[in-house]
Amino acid sequence: MVIFGATGDLSSKKLLPAIYNLAKQRLLPAGFAVVGAAIDDLSDDAFRKRAAEVISEHSRTQPVDQTVLSSFLQAVFYLKVDFGKADDFKSLQKKLDELDRSRHTAGNRVYYCATPPPTYETITEQLKAASMTNGSGFHRIVVEKPFGSDLKSARELNKIVQKVFHEDSVYRIDHYLGKETVQNILAFRFANSIFEPIWNSNLIDSVQITAAEEIGVELRGAYYDRAGALRDIVQNHALQLLALVAMEPPIAFDANSVRDEKVKVLRAIRPIEDGDVAHSTVRGQYTKGWVLGEKVGGYRDEKNVASGSLTETFAALRLFVDSWRWAGVPFYIRAGKRLPKRATELRIQFKRPPHLTFGRDAAQELDPNAITLRIQPEEGISLRFGAKVPSAGVKLRSVTMDFEYATSFLVETPEAYERLLLDCMIGDPTLFIRADVVEASWALIDPIEAAWRDGRPPLQMYEAGTWGPASAAKLLEADGREWHRP
Amino acid sequence: MSVSAQPGLDWHGEDVTIAEVLSALNKLRRTFAHSEADDRDHPHPRDCVMTLVSVAPNSVEETRAILASTAIATHHPSLSIVVRDQPHVRAGRIDASVMAHPVDSKLNTPVPCELIVLRVQGAAGSHLAELVDPLLVSGVPTYLWWLGTPAFGRGELMDALRIADALVIDSSRFDRPYQSFLALADLALHSHKKLGLADFQWQRLSPWRETAAQFFSPQERRSLMKGIGEVGIDYVGDGRGNRIAAALLIGWLASALDWKLLRAAAGGGGVVSAIFQSDGWRPIQVAFRSVARSHLTEGEVSALHINGSTGGKSFSLSIQRDPQRARRTGETEFRRLHPTGGEDDAAMEIAQRKAAQHREVLVQNRDSLHHTATGEPPGESLPRHPVVMARERRRADTADVLLTMIDIGDAETLRHVQRVPAEDEATMLLNLLSMGAHDSVYTRSLSAAAELMRSL
Repeated sequence: MVIFGATGDLSSKKLLPAIYNLAKQRLLPAGFAVVGAAIDDLSDDAFRKRAAEVISEHSRTQPVDQTVLSSFLQAVFYLKVDFGKADDFKSLQKKLDELDRSRHTAGNRVYYCATPPPTYETITEQLKAASMTNGSGFHRIVVEKPFGSDLKSARELNKIVQKVFHEDSVYRIDHYLGKETVQNILAFRFANSIFEPIWNSNLIDSVQITAAEEIGVELRGAYYDRAGALRDIVQNHALQLLALVAMEPPIAFDANSVRDEKVKVLRAIRPIEDGDVAHSTVRGQYTKGWVLGEKVGGYRDEKNVASGSLTETFAALRLFVDSWRWAGVPFYIRAGKRLPKRATELRIQFKRPPHLTFGRDAAQELDPNAITLRIQPEEGISLRFGAKVPSAGVKLRSVTMDFEYATSFLVETPEAYERLLLDCMIGDPTLFIRADVVEASWALIDPIEAAWRDGRPPLQMYEAGTWGPASAAKLLEADGREWHRP
Repeated sequence: MSVSAQPGLDWHGEDVTIAEVLSALNKLRRTFAHSEADDRDHPHPRDCVMTLVSVAPNSVEETRAILASTAIATHHPSLSIVVRDQPHVRAGRIDASVMAHPVDSKLNTPVPCELIVLRVQGAAGSHLAELVDPLLVSGVPTYLWWLGTPAFGRGELMDALRIADALVIDSSRFDRPYQSFLALADLALHSHKKLGLADFQWQRLSPWRETAAQFFSPQERRSLMKGIGEVGIDYVGDGRGNRIAAALLIGWLASALDWKLLRAAAGGGGVVSAIFQSDGWRPIQVAFRSVARSHLTEGEVSALHINGSTGGKSFSLSIQRDPQRARRTGETEFRRLHPTGGEDDAAMEIAQRKAAQHREVLVQNRDSLHHTATGEPPGESLPRHPVVMARERRRADTADVLLTMIDIGDAETLRHVQRVPAEDEATMLLNLLSMGAHDSVYTRSLSAAAELMRSL
């Protein structure tokens, strides 16, 4: 595996610790080697030292097993690579050939672009020029989101990558899809007979998707100020979750069957017309406030953010999936930064019973049934239903049945990157995003972005530490609903 | 930050962030789950029925909150967060402790008792919602128990209510009963629509309400409700004191029987007189006044009298609390300073006499409004002698005795003595929460009581 940008944040915090944990679980193929490639001038030993440090700091399993680590580090190498220099890629090819011979890796290659998207074109072209994309074994490329910044750029990016790699060898990674709980959505829906029959507009009132972060933009100010919440979270994570919750049962749990169904859902989402954007969407930006008991500054005070920035740090949408299954069921999405807590969840809100036999007073504290799929943190599933309060005449209250990953299975949940890297190595792209899925997502986002650029609806400010601007609550209140507090 | 691990599933940290508290809580949960399961078995799913957030202004209240929360957790798996708020300390910091102990629930499975104590210094305490929101358990109700007097009219209360499904208070502990009670009524009117209100005071009034309701419960006595002409209440206190309980009891009757308040006046000795009108245009005279009862807490109701006549038959219901014990009470300094005129048996007569005087005053001075001259709130007057009120007024409850005397027509007086077992704070809190904090009878009574208080 070649990691381009091996000295960067993603490699240090996620990739190297994930590969170490795969090694610890003995899931790496025999002879597996990592070659770090970046602009920094480092020796193999210097990179190994750095790798040992970041693995010790960021590994999910602690303390780090020194025996496993030292064995793993012997399979770690480094080469200085300037992406603009063809000679550097020739050197890289030479190094990989050597490793093929010494470690018997049979020419199999995974090229991981842990670099910004503008570098993808250069890297793929250099790989092709150095004849590193053909020959014996497989040749796969992994690219990180964002996959473009709109439909046009996404198509261009797809074209660039597909010029060199066949679509089957392109692994677009959205780490959300590697989370156990996201995969469990499909298990929950399609491995149980009791849920799927009620999973439709006959009984479901609405679906809420929340992707909340308590952190600000941290060191990503320059990128985030160009992207915003809609592009950073909604276009990928939130729409992927929507697709998983709304898709039809795939004929098999294989890459194309699952992704075929996902793309059908995305294509069935009714595009928000230009005239509807103002009352079907909300955009907000955080001002100073209190988060997790600490005082924090506003978005415009963040590093590398323009002082008069109009970038949204909060986005909320009301979408409809025009299909037989989902006709008339609103899907509410909200995503934002500097909200009270980190929480990603899907809430399936069911309709109220057609007639409340017990009277309104008895059911005053009775909420409609709901299933909550918690993606992070406290990964799990809750079912909410009504029960009679003991010894209180006839009084009903909502109670919850909880399943939690952390306490229900006596095994640690693997990091998303562990699962995704392994899938890539064994050639299973089910949890990766296909080109048509990316394009279908951008086709939904582009009209919203266009209206937002025109100031429709106006940017609403919200205090850091709150659940977004007041207009987000009004978006649901207008439909007689309210957001669930994660 | 310094962190020390204590024996068992405890964690303590000084100068910590909420993220660190959350991380510690999650670790303790995992440890708890793993310690519970053996190799062959899966752990039992963690259960939780509510999050109880208690806001304590001082160490005494903090101890109360911890004791009550722990007692509740022995029967009901829940997450309790006790926030000791010290906003006046300039240097901001959070000290925290987290406990996740299994407690013997007398069931097959141990119940996890999760208790987080946050000692918050500085401005962070004024942003309670942001402070505790990340710790709340999703999908279960969050109850906010504000010990002492809630910060009515201040941003910190409104901020905290954003995360609460219900506010739990004890109106008998309000520092400034008049203003605080009206603020509570305003809050009930204007808070977000799903906010419930639960009041310990209301729970303490249950025996009074139940006994009065039972009197009218038999079919043959239903018609008596339309004949009520007088209602008198004695409450413990000095001067105007804390008459919230008395007002709530009147509010309950008035709202239940659809009485309209016509006028009301207040005077010395904590006397209040009011005239309500029933839907049949019949006037109902209401009077309440303060009496000295050294063994009771200020504000508690010590007697309720309901008199009336219908169909040419008069009736009288008299409910008195601890009548024997009251008689044994000797002359106290308080009583010498503030003579109130006698024991419960004579109370109604005096209260009615005073009420009649005040009605006259009310009519004569309707336009002059003496309070505008004194600068006092309408209908209020200060005690004639300065009295230092103890902040910690409530003593440990002991069993109450309620003596009920019923006279209907010429029949002999029916006497009934009932023993009302005293309930500790945790039991009362549990009762309030398990019945749901959305008690429409309470909010209706609160509204009617506030209308009466405002008219004074």
